[in-house]
Amino acid sequence: MAEITVDVWLYGALARYGGPDASKSFANLAVSVPEGTTLRGLLEQISLPTSERGITFIDGQLSAMPGLQPDLDHTLQDGMRIGMFDRKSMWPFQYRHGASMVPELAQALDERGLHHTYE
Amino acid sequence: MWLIRINMADRSYTVEKAPAAFETLGGRGVTSTIVHDEVPPLSHPLGPSNKLVFSPGLLTGTAAPSSARISAGAKSPLTGGIKESNAGTAWAQHLANLGIKALVVEGQPEEKGAYWMAHLTWDDQEERPSIEFLPADDYLGQSLFDVFPKLYERFGERVTIAGVGVSGEYGYANSGIVYNDNNQRPNRYSGRGGMGAVMASKGLKFIVADPSGAPRREVADRELFNQGRRKMREALQEHAITQPKGGLNMYGTAVLINILNEAGGLPTRNFSSGRFEGAAKIAGEAIFEGIKDRAGEEVFNHGCSPGCIIQCSNTWLRPDGTEHVSCIEYESDWALGANCGIDSLDDIAEMVRLCNAYGFDTIETGTTIGVAMEAGVIPFGDGQGAINLVEEMGKGTPLGRILGGGTEFTGRAYGVTRVPTVKGQSMPAYEPRAVKGIGITYATSTMGADHTAGYTIGPEILAVGGDEDPLDPEGKAALSRAFQATTAFIDSIGHCLFIAFAILDIESGYEGMVEECNGLLGTDWTTDDVVPMGTEVLKKERAFNEAAGIGPAQDRVPEFMTREPLPPHNQVFDVPDEALDSVYGEL
Ligand code: SF4
Repeated sequence: MAEITVDVWLYGALARYGGPDASKSFANLAVSVPEGTTLRGLLEQISLPTSERGITFIDGQLSAMPGLQPDLDHTLQDGMRIGMFDRKSMWPFQYRHGASMVPELAQALDERGLHHTYE
Repeated sequence: MWLIRINMADRSYTVEKAPAAFETLGGRGVTSTIVHDEVPPLSHPLGPSNKLVFSPGLLTGTAAPSSARISAGAKSPLTGGIKESNAGTAWAQHLANLGIKALVVEGQPEEKGAYWMAHLTWDDQEERPSIEFLPADDYLGQSLFDVFPKLYERFGERVTIAGVGVSGEYGYANSGIVYNDNNQRPNRYSGRGGMGAVMASKGLKFIVADPSGAPRREVADRELFNQGRRKMREALQEHAITQPKGGLNMYGTAVLINILNEAGGLPTRNFSSGRFEGAAKIAGEAIFEGIKDRAGEEVFNHGCSPGCIIQCSNTWLRPDGTEHVSCIEYESDWALGANCGIDSLDDIAEMVRLCNAYGFDTIETGTTIGVAMEAGVIPFGDGQGAINLVEEMGKGTPLGRILGGGTEFTGRAYGVTRVPTVKGQSMPAYEPRAVKGIGITYATSTMGADHTAGYTIGPEILAVGGDEDPLDPEGKAALSRAFQATTAFIDSIGHCLFIAFAILDIESGYEGMVEECNGLLGTDWTTDDVVPMGTEVLKKERAFNEAAGIGPAQDRVPEFMTREPLPPHNQVFDVPDEALDSVYGEL
């Protein structure tokens, strides 16, 4: 099966999943995965337990918040940028109000009302 | 409590009981009321008719956590409109301990270039605060890092200080009012809006406060007050962001650098991109690891003022492990870093230190340098060049004076069209083309572009936007209005705005905030009163601005943002004018 490459950024405590060359505060890796791989598959490949990630971005679109991860089945495309944060990171509502989200998250937030939690 | 008026024309003062109407007002509620009622809207900000008003928050000086906040208000030389500029410092508590509701600085000395200090103490015999005026000429033209130790030596270790640096003496529109931090350093600022120049225009260089002997503050219902502050404390300690070793305590506010960068909303190279390739090197995570490397151990952040349990302030170290500067906030980090294309924390730290030494607002300084870079004065990414520009500002060279006039002024001097300001004040670190909600707040805030204007409680708790789709422009406008009102409320009671993180998610924390107020004041406010009370403050600010010639036509983002798509999302700011107008149209 054809391979695609995604641009993965791991921040804060997640940097330790970035291999030996990563700095302590962040890691940036080019990860090759089979076409059709989902975010779940990527996490497995880099051995990052999904429970450790908090705020997540797929191509600059918010896809997960701490405790709310509707993005696991999101299919990755070649060249996508995936940014993942540890659970201490934050993005207060007023500073993300109107920012773009992946459709899965928009729907999940809609179902829960606007309220989000960090846990 | 007391209302003190200082007349700097002859260094006289009066102390009277604060009017009953002020009993339930504090902080921004007081400063904006007095400016609205007493300052002629068309007066020159640096002339004798402007008044500088200090007011501690309602809860300031009590045991409520993270509540040592001071509001400084006046007509702003930067925006030409009303201004409230908020800071966290022990000086705020000292003012409150002295029983001072408001300190109003009026008039102007005849002598040009002469400065005084006001020494504020408690008069046991008269049982009220008293002031002694002393010449301050010995302290002019110097770095605040040189002056503060002299003041502490002269007045004793226990005092707290508010003052102005050389930026104020020069009359720069970019000049803040400085306060001491917990280690007697001149690091805390009412940064925005040129309040330093207003204070200096009155010939007032420092206000040294010493509350020794002042009586303890009365609390109407101590049980309720304690219950409220317990709820607040528990919410702050429980929440992942505000708890000990939580997000703010570990990474500081600069935790937002990587987040906004991933979101494509970190303004880069004078708002020409939403993503900075060097972001991860200057982010909060990198600050934490950098300090750990240089200190040889993990260092968690400290409080800017006594009684803060969130403690978000860092101290950056030089390569040899000695102190460089406290503190690198998100806004400073971004303005002097990503916005200038600079990815060195040491260069950013040096500029923050110089801003603190001379008395500049770090945000306005960084956005000014960004515009100067756009104009070709120095190239983007030139860290040493940028440091030199801050030095020029501090020395008052002709170029420095242009830059000291602020971002918009510098844009005019160089014919730059990409100038990120609203009502003359530069935008902070959130790109309105990527985060449209904040664009609405920037555009419509009474303060000019201001990120703290829209701090808020979760909209579901506020019960606004319920019938409106928050993603359509009308819904966003309704939320922005509610955000601004809530912020005005928090600014008035004197909690640090970062409590909003916890009470956004933890409803009992929100109740606690209201109970603290009710316990202290004997009022019976409910959570539903918060937005209407904040709205009253906004109405006064709005009225002042309109009388000063700043109306709805100025509630707009700069034109370039509506025309230039911003990478990586390639969006323009497309919130319709009607939606912007509805923010205050329905106030
Ligand atoms: S949270 Fe930060 S800014 Fe707020 S009072 Fe505490 S140390 Fe100061």
